[in-house]
Amino acid sequence: MEPLSHAFKERSIWALQDETLQVALNRAKDGFAVKRATAVDRLPEFEALRDRAVAIKDHTLENLDHYLERYADAVERSGGKVHWASSAEDARRIVVDICRASGARMITKGKSMVGEEVGVNGALEEAGFEVVETDLGEYIIQLAHEPPSHIIVPAVHKTRGQIAELFHQNHEKYGLTRKLAEVPEMVNEARQVLRGKYLAADVGITGANFLIAESGTSVIVTNEGNGDLTCSLPKVHIVTAGIEKVVPTVEDASTLLRLLGRSATGQDMTTYTTFTTGPKRPGDTDGPEEYHVVLIDNGRTTMLGDQFREMLRCIRCGACMNHCPVYGAIGGHAYGWVYPGPMGSVLTPLAVGLKEAGNLPNACTLNGHCAEVCPVRIPLPDLLRTLRHREYQLRLGLKPMRWGLAAWVWFTTHPRIYRLGTRVQARMLALLAGRKGRFRRMPLAGSWFRGGRDLPAPQGETFMAVWQRRQRGQG
Amino acid sequence: MSGGREQVLAAIRRSLGRGALGADARAALDARRGATDSEPLLPKLPKGTPAQVFRTGLEKVSGTMSELTALEEVPGAVAGYLAGHGLAPETAVAPSLEALDWAGAGIAPSVGPTRGGDFAGVSQAWRGVAESGSLVLLSGPENPTSLNFLPDHHIVVLRAQDLVSHLEQAWAALRERGEKGWPRTVNVITGPSRTADIELTIQLGAHGPRSLHVLLVD
Ligand code: SF4
Repeated sequence: MEPLSHAFKERSIWALQDETLQVALNRAKDGFAVKRATAVDRLPEFEALRDRAVAIKDHTLENLDHYLERYADAVERSGGKVHWASSAEDARRIVVDICRASGARMITKGKSMVGEEVGVNGALEEAGFEVVETDLGEYIIQLAHEPPSHIIVPAVHKTRGQIAELFHQNHEKYGLTRKLAEVPEMVNEARQVLRGKYLAADVGITGANFLIAESGTSVIVTNEGNGDLTCSLPKVHIVTAGIEKVVPTVEDASTLLRLLGRSATGQDMTTYTTFTTGPKRPGDTDGPEEYHVVLIDNGRTTMLGDQFREMLRCIRCGACMNHCPVYGAIGGHAYGWVYPGPMGSVLTPLAVGLKEAGNLPNACTLNGHCAEVCPVRIPLPDLLRTLRHREYQLRLGLKPMRWGLAAWVWFTTHPRIYRLGTRVQARMLALLAGRKGRFRRMPLAGSWFRGGRDLPAPQGETFMAVWQRRQRGQG
Repeated sequence: MSGGREQVLAAIRRSLGRGALGADARAALDARRGATDSEPLLPKLPKGTPAQVFRTGLEKVSGTMSELTALEEVPGAVAGYLAGHGLAPETAVAPSLEALDWAGAGIAPSVGPTRGGDFAGVSQAWRGVAESGSLVLLSGPENPTSLNFLPDHHIVVLRAQDLVSHLEQAWAALRERGEKGWPRTVNVITGPSRTADIELTIQLGAHGPRSLHVLLVD
């Protein structure tokens, strides 16, 4: 999709004022964090498993060419076909070509973040196919013509009222005219509509959580069972996967699975973990006749070669955004592309450029929560800092910010002047604030006070002065 | 598409700062037991018999279970389940269970895959995993995958001797299948279908079965 990340600031302000969105975000905020914490507490081996997971991913990335070749050969042995896509365009073209060659008309899709990333849906629709997302959340946002706002629960920003309205508008053509109010009846109605689609689909497209090199197997994890209906009922199954998804063995995948469910939703195991190897076997009474895998690079090999290699360990669990105060305040759409939250703030600038998305890494308080919960220990704050540094070096940031930083650097590298300056400033500000001890406005800093915030005034002494006084035992 | 393959592999090698690995290096990688070349790290299970641990895991995810003492009891147990849920005595049945006396239990079975017209489906698990209360089902002529997903009620027969502690034991057994290797699909199923996509409210029966019942046969 076309990135809108350049408008991050405007979109954030808009999101903060959107009351419906704030209701939805508040609902999500604690739920995920508590569920994860409970699940992690129940598993004493969790930390050791994280270390394993890091080792598994690092080893595989170090030998990525080898494992991908092993994987691709194994897929071909099982009767499947592997396609390699260097770019998003390649991936779109390959998927469209497979669908055309099979004479398809209707295509069902399981949730695939890399599919969103390369824009599979748009390409298929342009080519004249009917495309239906089957994950309930993806289905909802497809009806709303919106991108996902979360990588695990794509429609987390929608309230039941909004969803009821969408169903009402879109399900009339199936003779379903009643306006619904309760969650169970909405889920049921979607189930009914999508059942028809599964059974009529010619091609099913899913993503992959893991690819297993030794056996040529792709693994998908869903709670709804939509992925299974998508890959078992149509006569063609296409898997779209980033090249970083490969792991050497099924045991490696099992280690990562123990982390994925717990980190994402607090589940020990997600409901359906499905291992698919090739098309229907001789004698099988169901399953697809064709099995294709599209392996997608789209910038991943560049990351492999620079400081961002660690980002390729990401298993797309969503824990970082569930624990991010910035995501919690503005939701996923403000980020303006496919991946939101901390992982999105790293991936988006790398994918669409710092010029477009340079503000994303700046919207981080560096509180470090995301790195604490990331199951594969990606140092997200460090990566964000590296991106800020790059942005500064490329002179892409806003001028006042760059000048401000330059001035600050000069001050801190001249300690005597710095100390004198801060001493005078602290005393002056304390005097100016008077007895209230707070500021309600200040020249050049208008935006800080927007939305009713004030600023506590310093108490008259600098930290250094207090420290020295205490060291001398006067304090 | 071999052009695509070489292009991606070359880009990877450029980024890793090396050429293609030699035969020895590749053989060494192939000889490893997984990425870390060590025994898998298996979480310790809570106290109890495998059946007890399995039941706890299954019930935690809203699955149910009854224990039988012989395979012959399966049709009767299925009949009881259907009656208990107010369903007609009809069900789709996996060919692997066809030989059982369904008629004797008053059930009209439809043997083979389903296209969605069946309210209940009975299939056979290949392994059960105590750690998580999961069922492992292999696709094949004897066990069509559609039975696992299309009916509202999924009833799964699991033999007690097929209960393993961790997934890894199931994988070891799969390797022993030798040249049959991996079937088209291995379904690891942990509870009935669910979604939390509307207001994070958990709702069972999103697209797959609304309920999952295990018949553990000793
Ligand atoms: S960066 Fe870590 S926490 Fe965030 S989605 Fe990826 S694996 Fe999960």
